[in-house]
Amino acid sequence: MIKESKFYRVLRYVFLTAACIFVVVPIFPLIFMAFKTGAEYSSTSVLVPPQNWLNFYNFRYAIRVGNLGKALFNTAIILLFSLTIQLLFTTMVSYVLHRFEFNGKKIITTLFTLTMFIPVVTTQTVVFQIIYRMGLVNKMPSVILLYSGVNIVGVYIMFNQLNSIPKELDESALIDGASYYRIFRSIILPLMKPACVTLLIINGIGYYNDFYIPNLYLRKNVQTFTVALHKFFGNTATPFEIVAAAILLGIAPIMVVFLFLQRYIFYGLAGAIKS
Amino acid sequence: MVRTKGTRLFIFIFLAIPVIHLMVFSYIPIISNIYLSFTNYNGVNPPKWVGLRNYERLFTDPQYIKLFKNCLWYMLVAIPQLLFAFILAIFVNGRFKGINFFKGVLIIPYLLNGVIISTIFIIFFNNSGTLNSILRAIGLGRLAQQWLHNLRLVNPSIASISIWRYYGLNFLMFFGGLQAIPTELYEAAAIDGCTKLQEIRYISIPSILNILFINVLLSISGSIQVFEIPYIMMNGANGTATPVIQIQQSAFYENRVGFAAALSIVVFIIVVIAVSLQRIFDKRGSIYQ
Repeated sequence: MIKESKFYRVLRYVFLTAACIFVVVPIFPLIFMAFKTGAEYSSTSVLVPPQNWLNFYNFRYAIRVGNLGKALFNTAIILLFSLTIQLLFTTMVSYVLHRFEFNGKKIITTLFTLTMFIPVVTTQTVVFQIIYRMGLVNKMPSVILLYSGVNIVGVYIMFNQLNSIPKELDESALIDGASYYRIFRSIILPLMKPACVTLLIINGIGYYNDFYIPNLYLRKNVQTFTVALHKFFGNTATPFEIVAAAILLGIAPIMVVFLFLQRYIFYGLAGAIKS
Repeated sequence: MVRTKGTRLFIFIFLAIPVIHLMVFSYIPIISNIYLSFTNYNGVNPPKWVGLRNYERLFTDPQYIKLFKNCLWYMLVAIPQLLFAFILAIFVNGRFKGINFFKGVLIIPYLLNGVIISTIFIIFFNNSGTLNSILRAIGLGRLAQQWLHNLRLVNPSIASISIWRYYGLNFLMFFGGLQAIPTELYEAAAIDGCTKLQEIRYISIPSILNILFINVLLSISGSIQVFEIPYIMMNGANGTATPVIQIQQSAFYENRVGFAAALSIVVFIIVVIAVSLQRIFDKRGSIYQ
């Protein structure tokens, strides 16, 4: 390794500290605001800390009026179903396309690859009509259905992992009389675990944060977390100090997950991007 | 592998549902959209062929040309965004105290959703908000503005939010690329007495040049699809509407599905061009791989 000069090391800390300030500046006034009373908020600068750090009124109000608990639960249900279905289908498709030779393999691989050219936002005019005819508008299965599709990034991640699993393993199991289903379930799936974790993290974050699809398909009755936040914030009658508390509540689950999974998230994302 | 009837059935069972899903929710919609873009379909009555009229409207009416002009702001801010992410990746790539802390903080914006980010920046750009308060505190109060109501500043202001939101993704990609450089290369350079600056100039930068190019194209295809920030912050008002906001508006509120389809196809074509270039470049690979 090349020795880093003292100047370089100092420069690194200066730059990284500046970058952290850049990240934190828009967020930290919210922490102050969330603990202020309405009167305090309107009379003090956003840069001034609150008088009472134990004033949780805004948080309680946000949970009660914003329906955020219920919405978070809906999001959890949608994630549970769509991620499970998607993971199952992605591993199945990847296994077949990676390990078998058959007529039409090229066409099917190409079909999956070409979806990267079709952004979701350009098909919804028609997809909406399809979902509408299926009678799923304003119902959770609409979003689950749209999220469950196999996407090509997932297939690439699985392919990377499958490359590292020797074919002899499948073949010897086949000679021992195991069926393909058995090989898939007992040999391939357990060995694909790291790729599965990567896929779950990437799409989990993506779906948890998605606004476009649930905003389009879940307008009434059921709301996901992002849609509920939007309704709550979009209501101009909601005072800013309560909005701030709700934002902190929205950031909290992601931060908790992140603290536990930091290593996986970082290398999962970097690895996925590389592949 | 041995091919038997059972094998074929197995393949069929494993592929059938995902392929049907693919057809129903990707291919059929995009192909129908191409057809609908030449019609006056309103979502209820049978579509009637109108030729190129929707496209003509799109490229001659200043109201709709503005949609694409707004996207240019988002492409423009991608330049500082990529530069920032690039320098960050260079600095983070190495061994030093606090690396995990910095990585942790720097990745925060990438983990937040568009609703939260938009709302954070409504407060940031608000009249008595963070930005104006900071400007006043450091004696630059005369620069304080109604950022979101000044028609000349609103688009650059909200476009610049994407720097904060997306640099993390670019950073991760650059970082991944730097980590993939074989260590022997650095070792050889060290033996040859290479300085840190030379290392960056002659090893790091050339190695991730193709990732830089991919990021540029990602930014272009992302800019044309901007939706959340202008929709949530401004509801597309004050001239901040983008093609995707207009697609939603036309298709679901004005019942002009044919027009929305035409707009979708234009966005689609731009994305196809950007992604194709990205694929071509990606296939050529970096110098050292």
